[in-house]
Amino acid sequence: MCELCEKYGDNGGRWYLNPENYARPLYKKVEKGKEKEPMILTELQGPFYYKPLIELKDNPEAFEKMREGYSKFHETMGGQVVSLEDAKKMVEIAQPIARMDCICRRITRATLEDGEQRPRTCLGLGVGMFRWEEWPERYKGGVEFLSTEEAKEHIEHWHKRGMVITIMTFGTPYIGGICLCDYPDCLAIRMRLDYGIKPMLLKGHQVAKVNYEECTGCGTCVQRCQFGAIKMEVTTKKSNIDMTRCFGCGVCTYACPQDAISLIDREKLPGLKEEW
Amino acid sequence: MIPQIEIDKNKCATPYECKKCLQICPQAVFAVAPTKVERFKETAPEDYEVQAVFKDKCVLCMDCVKVCPTGAIKVKVGSS
Repeated sequence: MCELCEKYGDNGGRWYLNPENYARPLYKKVEKGKEKEPMILTELQGPFYYKPLIELKDNPEAFEKMREGYSKFHETMGGQVVSLEDAKKMVEIAQPIARMDCICRRITRATLEDGEQRPRTCLGLGVGMFRWEEWPERYKGGVEFLSTEEAKEHIEHWHKRGMVITIMTFGTPYIGGICLCDYPDCLAIRMRLDYGIKPMLLKGHQVAKVNYEECTGCGTCVQRCQFGAIKMEVTTKKSNIDMTRCFGCGVCTYACPQDAISLIDREKLPGLKEEW
Repeated sequence: MIPQIEIDKNKCATPYECKKCLQICPQAVFAVAPTKVERFKETAPEDYEVQAVFKDKCVLCMDCVKVCPTGAIKVKVGSS
């Protein structure tokens, strides 16, 4: 079973659908007093802190040892992949919802998401968002408050264009944001895939499966997968999803012109139910 | 061997505004961040810093060295 659901779920339900995990008091606990300012700087400088770990990439033993420490830290600040269906349920619980520029993209590519193509993909959640003007550097470019319906449209729009929907916690289980992510600019996807920092991005509650009867081998899904989980099986001319690598984001299910891919429950598969 | 990538801070004055290395890198090796944050104030452009973070991904194509307008980036193989 999903460890977070066990700890923070409401009677065995998915942890991120439990309204308690959107509550303000938990948020305050992390933010207390003078801790707040450095927290923001720490968040903005995020990847800089990974340099000592990355320097050890050539030394597997030392790398592994240090990686454990980083993983431990991300048990308090991390996320999980969610399906579009679940994300829509989340924005029904969370209020207010504020759209802002993606902080990872700012850090890795220095893009402020302006101009006509302005995706402004990130959604900040909770009453803390009302005080965004206090930290203009963190919320560079400003924020716009969205209604629940607008938030659903926003998430669906970017998800169908290929973005992975993820949750971000700020003091787990407090859910502070819904992100729309891709590789390599999303630091969470990157830290998990390239450096094995598992709690930074847990896999979702579902996994994708191809219906071989319907698949025509067009390859659209192969290009869309942000996790490198899909390959084209040349001889059978079918897409092959490695379900042990799949994060269950659902991007491929919307990309497939044949509707040949579906999401199935991870926990119904004994081989995958402990694989997060 | 992980490549060594050094950025001369004196030559790289406003990395967030320049952003050439960040955007050209095929392996997205770099990261840029403010060195300080203040309440009710955006950080000044000269208080930003770019660092090579994901160095294990560097393939030594030297695109960053070529694109840097001030010659602030040095890339070499090995730890020396």
